[in-house]
Amino acid sequence: MPIRDYYLLSPEISLASIAMAVILLDTVVKRKGLLAIFTLAALALPLAFTISLWGEEGRAFGGLLIVDQFSIFFKFLFLGVTAAVVIASQDSVTNFKRFQGEFYALLLLATSGLMLMSSTGELITIFLALELSTLSAIALVTFFKTDQAVEAGIKYLVLSGISSAMMLYGMALVFGVSGSTRLEEIAQAVGTTRLLDNPALLMGMLLMVAGFGFKISSVPFQMWVPDVYQGAPTSVAAYLSVASKAGGFAVILRVFYVAFAGVSMEWSMLFAVLAVVSMTFGNLIAMFQSNIKRLLAYSTIAHAGYMMVGLAAVAARNPIGEGLGTQGLLFYLTGYAFTNLGAFFVVIAVAQKLKGESIDDFAGLAKRSPLLAGLLALCLISLTGLPPTVGFWAKLYLFSGAVQADLVWLAVAGVLNSAISAYYYLRVVKAMYMSPAASDERLTPSPAISLALLVTTGGVLFFGFAPSYLLDFAVRAARGFPG
Amino acid sequence: MTGEYFTDYTAVLVATIAGAVMVLSGFLAAMVVSPRARSAMKDIPYECGVVPFPGRGWTQTHIRYYLFAILFLVFDVEAVFLFPWAVIFLGPEVASAVFYEMLVFMGILFFGLIYAWKKGVLEWR
Amino acid sequence: MNVGVAASIAFWIMAIIAVVSALAVIVTRDIFRAALFLILAFLTVAGLFITLSADFVAAVQVLVYGGAISILLIFAVLLTRDVQKGNPSNRMLKPAVFLGALFAATLIVVITNSTWKLSGDSPPQGTTAAIGDALVNSYVLPFEIASVLLLAAMIGAIVVARGRDE
Repeated sequence: MPIRDYYLLSPEISLASIAMAVILLDTVVKRKGLLAIFTLAALALPLAFTISLWGEEGRAFGGLLIVDQFSIFFKFLFLGVTAAVVIASQDSVTNFKRFQGEFYALLLLATSGLMLMSSTGELITIFLALELSTLSAIALVTFFKTDQAVEAGIKYLVLSGISSAMMLYGMALVFGVSGSTRLEEIAQAVGTTRLLDNPALLMGMLLMVAGFGFKISSVPFQMWVPDVYQGAPTSVAAYLSVASKAGGFAVILRVFYVAFAGVSMEWSMLFAVLAVVSMTFGNLIAMFQSNIKRLLAYSTIAHAGYMMVGLAAVAARNPIGEGLGTQGLLFYLTGYAFTNLGAFFVVIAVAQKLKGESIDDFAGLAKRSPLLAGLLALCLISLTGLPPTVGFWAKLYLFSGAVQADLVWLAVAGVLNSAISAYYYLRVVKAMYMSPAASDERLTPSPAISLALLVTTGGVLFFGFAPSYLLDFAVRAARGFPG
Repeated sequence: MTGEYFTDYTAVLVATIAGAVMVLSGFLAAMVVSPRARSAMKDIPYECGVVPFPGRGWTQTHIRYYLFAILFLVFDVEAVFLFPWAVIFLGPEVASAVFYEMLVFMGILFFGLIYAWKKGVLEWR
Repeated sequence: MNVGVAASIAFWIMAIIAVVSALAVIVTRDIFRAALFLILAFLTVAGLFITLSADFVAAVQVLVYGGAISILLIFAVLLTRDVQKGNPSNRMLKPAVFLGALFAATLIVVITNSTWKLSGDSPPQGTTAAIGDALVNSYVLPFEIASVLLLAAMIGAIVVARGRDE
């Protein structure tokens, strides 16, 4: 193996090595607070490798590893999310006597799995990378070992096991039809076969959608989301809602736009239908939630729906490589990462002081902590998709991509759903600003969570006013994809 | 050519059938030959002649034994990977990379073992 | 008797045993017996792999499933608190049977009506070397990811199985 292969894999290698180093460090140092700082500082290493890879195009390990702008975009996203989650987890993790290093190590291992998912063009590797991220995530969900956390962990384990089994079966069927596990060779074998002429191909595709649908928490593979988000540590729920989801979308884009490009028109409709069902289901159920984490869980299902509008739009466009679909989706994923992390981090900050996660606990927050209330309001406005936030631009690009791909009805459904979602997002805002507070005691967020909030909400505002920086980045990443 | 392959496994088949037949014939012989006289005393489980412990005979095992099983599974899988690697490694013209690939694989798992050791998982308490 | 015919007879006998013992897993009330039936299913599947000329996969099936997974299963039964209550069925039984049958029927229709890409080559004599070659040459990346995956599983298991006070 030439050295270049390892250079192309260096972000993942360094990330996994840091994970092991954190565990080693945990057994040596006495002051456990150092672990978060070490993790954060060490993340600079994979980040540096990723930056140096930007602009490179290449294959390694016999074509199994694909490094292109698309995968590097996702690597930046995952590293950023991981860094933010490490900062935000710091307060709750220091409560443990032992096993602090493991939290960060598992987080890093999950991230390395996601990074591999975004940059491989072969089904077995995709499966292993996906399992690496899911398995680590299961341990993270269960980490606090409260009754709720254990229940969430078991649900996540069993349901992810079922969805992985379905996905694997789908991969086997696709292999049986095409004789290869490499996406390009599958594309050659599949060509432009009508799906109904070869039902095994259709079945294989549907089963793979089940596996990936679990990752992106799309209906009908969403049952785990509310319970897991409620039971998991809040920072882990934030990680799942953002990074896991982005990883799922990266794989879907890669698999479907490379391997099944010839039959894209036929599954564009599949994603369009799933999109409408997901967003409507998520938004309708979210209206009746009293726990803020469950509300954000249903909101994340709805957002998976919006994002699938992007998938349908890329699929419907012709020829491949043009249109707003991919870049709109990349923009949306990043914007959503800033916004949703921000929202979850405010929940962490409030729950640290009040020990409660119900929407009633947020009543009168504007008086007790104008800053936290303002930041949460900003994030919720961004989730609704109103200016001047990044969420507005994200929805604008995504829905105009749908219009451009002649899917006007899908864009209309998205806009209507955003209007519905405004109801429950603004209900929280109303509780914060209009309802009386339970006490007048001031809430001051801890330094760590303040830093995490600064980064994420800063992004929401910055890209709300200057979306072109992020858009240029997304355009460059989407150009030449699939490479 | 498939003939040779299957002849090799005929021995496995014969051994399996022979094993099943031996066990089953033992049970069958006991059923046919043994005299039967049931009584309440005879139905209690045999525990070296002592009257068995009253109540539930089932105790819940401690979770730490499960970790042994997990570790066994992990290193079982490692052994499975080792086997085809060894077949290749003995062949002619092996690139040196093949050796280091396995070294990395085993190094990562060895790290896991050391970690488990450090955490006291391997202590039989 | 022709070897091929004997192999297909063996295949069908073992296939029937595998399916029946898999059914027994869900029908048996006693969890421990269900686990034993599952192990029987694992072992007959290993036999199926042999009749399909996949001898290495058969060995893996015996080693990993017949050995390690079986131990895990039995440990899991030992860890279960109310084993005596067994494996009662609930009101989801009928929908589950219906959905399962529907899935099986769909798969059968799909598998029999599809055009598969078949390899013209005859099966290799001894697959171990071929698999080893693929493992160290074209599939190095998933091979190494597998070790990281196993490491994550180990760490995760140790973290999850720790005492509550820790």
